Amino acid sequence: MKRFIILAALLLLALPAAAQAATAATGAGALDFSMTPQDITIHTFYNGTTVQVAGEAPAGSQVVVRFAGAPEAVAMKQKGKALGFLWMNLNTLHFSGVPRVFLVESSAPLSGLGAAGASLGLSGLTETISVAPATADRAMLVPELLKLKRKEGLYREHSGGVALAAPAGGVQKFSVSLAVPSRLSPGAYTVEVIAVKDGAVAARAARPLEARLVGIPAFLSNLAFNNAVWYGVLASVIAIIAGLGIGLVFQSKGAH
Amino acid sequence: MSIPMELYLPIAGNSVNIVAVFGLGGVVGLLSGIFGVGGGFLMTPLLIMMGIPPTVAAATDSNQIVGASTSGTLAHLRLGNVDVKMGLLLLIGGVLGGTVGVQVIKLLRALGNADFLINITYVLMLGLVGGYMFLESLQAMRKAKAPVKKEPEKHVKSSAFGRMVGMLPWQMDFTRSGVRMSPVLPLLLGGLVGLLSAIMGVGGGFIMVPVMVYLLRMPMHVVVGTSLFQILFTCINVTVMQASTNHTVDFVLALILLIGSSLGAQIGAIVGKKLGGEQLKILLASLVLIMMFKILYELLARPDVLLAYIGGH
Repeated sequence: MKRFIILAALLLLALPAAAQAATAATGAGALDFSMTPQDITIHTFYNGTTVQVAGEAPAGSQVVVRFAGAPEAVAMKQKGKALGFLWMNLNTLHFSGVPRVFLVESSAPLSGLGAAGASLGLSGLTETISVAPATADRAMLVPELLKLKRKEGLYREHSGGVALAAPAGGVQKFSVSLAVPSRLSPGAYTVEVIAVKDGAVAARAARPLEARLVGIPAFLSNLAFNNAVWYGVLASVIAIIAGLGIGLVFQSKGAH
Repeated sequence: MSIPMELYLPIAGNSVNIVAVFGLGGVVGLLSGIFGVGGGFLMTPLLIMMGIPPTVAAATDSNQIVGASTSGTLAHLRLGNVDVKMGLLLLIGGVLGGTVGVQVIKLLRALGNADFLINITYVLMLGLVGGYMFLESLQAMRKAKAPVKKEPEKHVKSSAFGRMVGMLPWQMDFTRSGVRMSPVLPLLLGGLVGLLSAIMGVGGGFIMVPVMVYLLRMPMHVVVGTSLFQILFTCINVTVMQASTNHTVDFVLALILLIGSSLGAQIGAIVGKKLGGEQLKILLASLVLIMMFKILYELLARPDVLLAYIGGH
């Protein structure tokens, strides 16, 4: 019995501490969330994963959850017509402020959330991406880039995925499962929750999330980037051995 | 618990289905074993469709071809289809030509519109080569079918090309191929193919095979084996270069592909042996023409997305 009391006391002490560690310090008061897993491990059989996000938002607000990679610079070729009828890669374009991944889930369509809502989604992203040279047709090119990223499954905007509970005591609980694509590079990502009320952002909170390689992928990636020449030689040698091996197996089986 | 069929590839940065990749390797290996081509024209776009970035797809394909052509070369060696002497000469020429080609493409890019030139060269080359091979083998097959006794093809070859070839120094025998010529000719032609394939960014099997058939006058079966032998070395070079400078070789992907394609190549070599030389030629010609139409279509149809990643084929 005594043991049980000590255990219970320890648990009581530990629980709030753990809860505090797992929730974001927002400062905005009413918005708070936690997520599992806190980091993504990319192992040999990684094939996309799900991040569960749950928390509390101010009562009466709609909730937008975003999963985004750090903005990067991307160089691409623009396809255009040469001689008036042949489609080919023409000039080089440099986009900047392009997140690697950009997934948006919301409790209601962003278009119905007023000015603040619209700017949180892919159309808002269009405004922040810039293109060089300045002469490039930005209005046409940035949507094309988003289209390409959407086709690759890296950008997504979806409404209705965030479940809202009935408001109670000035707050309402929300939860969502974010499907993270398999085409994920290791690096820093951010999960951000934004509460929108009456067409304006009522509160927002963000937490970092790291995707990192473990096991065989980590080993291979290290070899490929840090010992590149050896990696190339090794890849060739193993390919030759495998080719010879299969050839020899066939000789013993297929020889007349 | 089911066995995981999806594998994450750290270099490509995506996961793929093992069975699908293995199957893709098998089909491409089969073609490679039959025709003595690398199969990059087929493999690279299909890998991109599976979600592999274009630059990684192209470089990994070379790594895969190393394995497949080792297996294919071994199979053809056993069948007595590899002219090592000829292959080495073509290879040396190819490496020299490729080095020049890389400089040429740099110059073209500096002048602008290099891609335009590359694509036009592609369509013209493939159209000419494919069309000529197709018509020529069709005629040969018709002749063979006709009951008229085939006149021996000891044609009095007094063409300008023939005379020029005869005048070159150091005439020697290539016993496997059953031809006699100066080593200067394969060196020059290898250089030309190397130059073109560096400019076009492909392995060059599609140009090398017709060159061996029509300009070096080698028998079709020896052409296939010798071409694979040559491709093996070209692709080792490309793999090491790509891995060290661009980090675009995904070894795990290459390994799964090459197990599939080595098996395919073995079967291909056997199938090729069963087909006649003319049948082989006409099939290859069809393949070349299909490839030409595909590129032509891509040139003429409005692309789905008006942007492309830099690199790849």
